[in-house]
Amino acid sequence: MTSIAIAAENLTFRYGDLTAVDQINFEVAEGEILGFLGPNGAGKSTTVKILSGQLRPTEGRATVLGLDIARQTKQVQKQIGVAFETTNLYEQMSAVENLELFADLFGVKDFNARALLEKVGLGGREKERVATYSKGMKQRLMLARALVGNPRLLFLDEPTEGLDPASSQTIHAIIREAAANGATVFMTTHDMVEADKLSNRVAFINQGKIVALDRPAALKRQFGKRALRVEVEGENGETAVREVTLDETGAPEAIYDLFRSERIVTVHSEEATLEDIFMDITGRGLQG
Amino acid sequence: MIAALVKKDVKLYFRNRFIAVVTIMGLVFYAILYYMLPAQVDETLDIALFIENPQATQIDERFEEYFEFTSFDSEAAMLAALEEEGDYLAGIAISAGEAAAIDRGEKASIRAFYAPGIPTEVKNAYDDLLTITANGASPAFGGQFGRIDEEAVVLGPDMLETPIPIRDRFVPMMLLFLLAVEVMGVASLIMQEAESGTAQAVLTSPLRLSQFFTGKVIMGLAVAFVQLILLAAVIGKMSTSPLELMVTLLLGSFMIVGLSFLIASISRDYMSVLAWGMLVIIVFSIPAIAVLLPGLATAWAELIPSYFLVDAIHRILNFNASWGEIGSHLVVLFAAGLATMALGSALLRRRFQ
Repeated sequence: MTSIAIAAENLTFRYGDLTAVDQINFEVAEGEILGFLGPNGAGKSTTVKILSGQLRPTEGRATVLGLDIARQTKQVQKQIGVAFETTNLYEQMSAVENLELFADLFGVKDFNARALLEKVGLGGREKERVATYSKGMKQRLMLARALVGNPRLLFLDEPTEGLDPASSQTIHAIIREAAANGATVFMTTHDMVEADKLSNRVAFINQGKIVALDRPAALKRQFGKRALRVEVEGENGETAVREVTLDETGAPEAIYDLFRSERIVTVHSEEATLEDIFMDITGRGLQG
Repeated sequence: MIAALVKKDVKLYFRNRFIAVVTIMGLVFYAILYYMLPAQVDETLDIALFIENPQATQIDERFEEYFEFTSFDSEAAMLAALEEEGDYLAGIAISAGEAAAIDRGEKASIRAFYAPGIPTEVKNAYDDLLTITANGASPAFGGQFGRIDEEAVVLGPDMLETPIPIRDRFVPMMLLFLLAVEVMGVASLIMQEAESGTAQAVLTSPLRLSQFFTGKVIMGLAVAFVQLILLAAVIGKMSTSPLELMVTLLLGSFMIVGLSFLIASISRDYMSVLAWGMLVIIVFSIPAIAVLLPGLATAWAELIPSYFLVDAIHRILNFNASWGEIGSHLVVLFAAGLATMALGSALLRRRFQ
């Protein structure tokens, strides 16, 4: 039986009159990567702050790795790693010094900072002050710092926001490796492609409420349109587009006729993206 | 955990170029300043004197009983020494006729000159001194002043025979100024942790907030105390009541670290730390000035906590004060440190959580 890494029950947080997180309920299994998607201000970061012990919930409760996060905060924090949304590194210290500090805080014996930095692509610049690093390098160092204590659970708050594709790819590889080694990953993002590629399941959060939670493929099946988009070439070289809806009766015959009678240029499946689904459900985009 | 935090904070303290330079330069500057200031106290009042035809009178011999003077050959030379060279604050010119009248015990008048810009209080003191001296030097009044028996009682430590050199009066102020820079250093470290989010990062690890604060207190105490001890050692003050001095400096450092917590809790950026730090330096230096120039500050200076630090240092170093004499000062220093630290920690706790 898969054990539960995170369980949220009616979790609520209010900043004064503003309800940032509103009665949310969900579970994350150990070893799972959960993508927490939503636009800015939807409540993603507040949820991470509650689950990592930075904020106390106004109502409801959450257990993290079987412990009540509000009451056993430090016991939980010994077993988690957090990569924050905004860069919060000691900029006047080197990457090695930053990591070694956290190794001391987590009580890690025989810590090899250089090996970890090599893993996140910062080998060779480990002695430079962090202030001289690019944004991508700082993000990778933040991720490395989150991994210092060999966490059972990783909270990654917008880990690739504003990064170039190469830095994003490095971070994706590290997240996959951590998950492959058994870590649970709770990742907030408003990049639906990233969430689709990495997550076992995704949760959509909008205005503090979870509006959908499932595997990306299941959401696409549930909310998306199953169709084939076929580009064909006419006798005079002009191109035209034909669409076949797969769930309608007679779809196999229609495809057969199309392939027999037309000169096919390209064939694409017309599945919905996570952003399309989010817009369908909430009426707003993920970037908003 | 706390050791790792302290190590990190000491690194960051000295990687702040402004604070590091001010700290190191301060140490060097105060040490040099101490040795440049006079080590001896010149208690003599040197007065310029011109007597017309001095061979005809013994007034100058009688004057010698009262003060040191420098004789000039001409009134013009004496006035130049007073007005242009600034070597003397006061001078006396006595014509040959007046000198003869004084010698005969008759009524005479002498002219007194004062240097430009002489303060009223000093001028009045010289006035009295010259009047007494002139009267005393005249045989017509001989013995009259001697009939008044004088009993002088010095309240507090009697330093009449062992005056304190100006550089030793400066020591409490030097030590206080070193600490005042520390206020800005520690406060900016704490403020930066809050504003840059690094405090949030370390507090999401197994580290507790109380441990975070303890680390800051230890770092602040260590940096401040080591600086003070270094300066005290360099200027040769560690041999005078070393235990009393070390405890006083430690409690002074504690008060300053508490103040750093308070300033950090109300500052949002480096400029506001500097502004609050400068205010602290100005206010805290008032009691130090009172030690340097006794009589300038009024009793309200004793309401400023730094009074108890500078006065305790002054008493220990310059009067060999015992524990009993500085005990109440130490209690106030500890209480002031504790109060500011408690208030600062409470405000920071709200900011971090």
